Amino acid sequence: MAVYLQTTQAWLVRELYRGLWGQRVPDTRLTDARVQELEIQVQELQTQNRQLQQLLDYKQKMPLATVAAMVVGRSAGHWWHQVWVGEGSSKGVTPGTVVVAPGGLVGRVLDVTPHTSRVLLVTDPSSKVGVMVNRSRAMGVLVGQGTGQAVVEFFDKNPDVKPGDSLVTSPFSTIFPPGIPVGKVESIDWRAMPAPRATVQLNAPIERLEWVLLHSYGQKSAELLHP
Amino acid sequence: MVKSPLNSSIPSSRVVLTTVVSAIGTLALLPVRWPGMELAGIAPDWPLIWVVAWSVRRTPWQGLIAGLALGVLQDALVNPRLGWWPSHGLSLGIVGFLTALLQKDRLIQEDFISVALIVFAMAVIAETVMAVQWTVSGQRPLGQIWLDHQRLALASAILSSLWAPLVYVPLSRLWHSD
Repeated sequence: MAVYLQTTQAWLVRELYRGLWGQRVPDTRLTDARVQELEIQVQELQTQNRQLQQLLDYKQKMPLATVAAMVVGRSAGHWWHQVWVGEGSSKGVTPGTVVVAPGGLVGRVLDVTPHTSRVLLVTDPSSKVGVMVNRSRAMGVLVGQGTGQAVVEFFDKNPDVKPGDSLVTSPFSTIFPPGIPVGKVESIDWRAMPAPRATVQLNAPIERLEWVLLHSYGQKSAELLHP
Repeated sequence: MVKSPLNSSIPSSRVVLTTVVSAIGTLALLPVRWPGMELAGIAPDWPLIWVVAWSVRRTPWQGLIAGLALGVLQDALVNPRLGWWPSHGLSLGIVGFLTALLQKDRLIQEDFISVALIVFAMAVIAETVMAVQWTVSGQRPLGQIWLDHQRLALASAILSSLWAPLVYVPLSRLWHSD
């Protein structure tokens, strides 16, 4: 046996090895193909990313200066939800400045004096904010209810939303920058007309605000601010 | 017999000054939320208390004009634009007019308890006038206006009537002391 192996240079053993392990070759080819596919996908995503960043650059050129301000007064009429904050045009605050607090969106500035601004809260019934469900990208409009809660009216007849979903400002909003946290969906009324409505628990403590941040987000025309 | 300010001579500058300062003071109190002064996020309607205190012993037209003036000033504090609509002037004007119309000599004693009761009723009337204005202007959904109205009218009436003596007693002393 040993002589046979010696004289044939272990021909039989090598053939056996070939039979045992040779099957792996098509496997690596498959992996290679998958890698190639992924590489192409990465390239595609890089291209998309570059395009999106170019678009984003355009937005970020607008000054996003931030001013911290104290809340000095609440609204002077029962039917309005506003706050007065202690910074104004002397710090560069303009009508349309976006107001946020720890937790998320609070509202936007209606008008300014040199050292105060009047903020329309998102809970005011005249406030309308374009929002998006973070998970499913379903779009809607957040409308204040005059209480601590707000309601989202969806555009879609059958939006992908469920209680607990978090909401951010919509990328299509012209008044608010995209992606500011707004609140969480509490319940959904699927029978509402013309499209489902969701009750939202707002993240920011709107009823007990003490300090807010004012973000300048470009100049807005008066038409946009007072629809 | 109580001396009517209509028959009296021109009021002293002290009375005029205090009247104006107290009226503006009630407006200045509006954005303030002190602890214990809030009910469901609503503060007392100070200008309404002032208008009731003013109109209790005056003619309906004097009440109307005072309410209108104070209401228009309150509008300046809330309306983001120079808008006249919906206006606190209308609601407070009606409140002043109706308060002066009440036949207090015949119906109720003029003490701070009955004034608190008048303030309670007038707060409900004032919020109703506001709700009617919202309804007519059509800026908000109808169902929501009248839901808000229930909540606002009740909270405002309770709080304002509780705090009414604080505004009414000093002003009453000032105007009717002699």
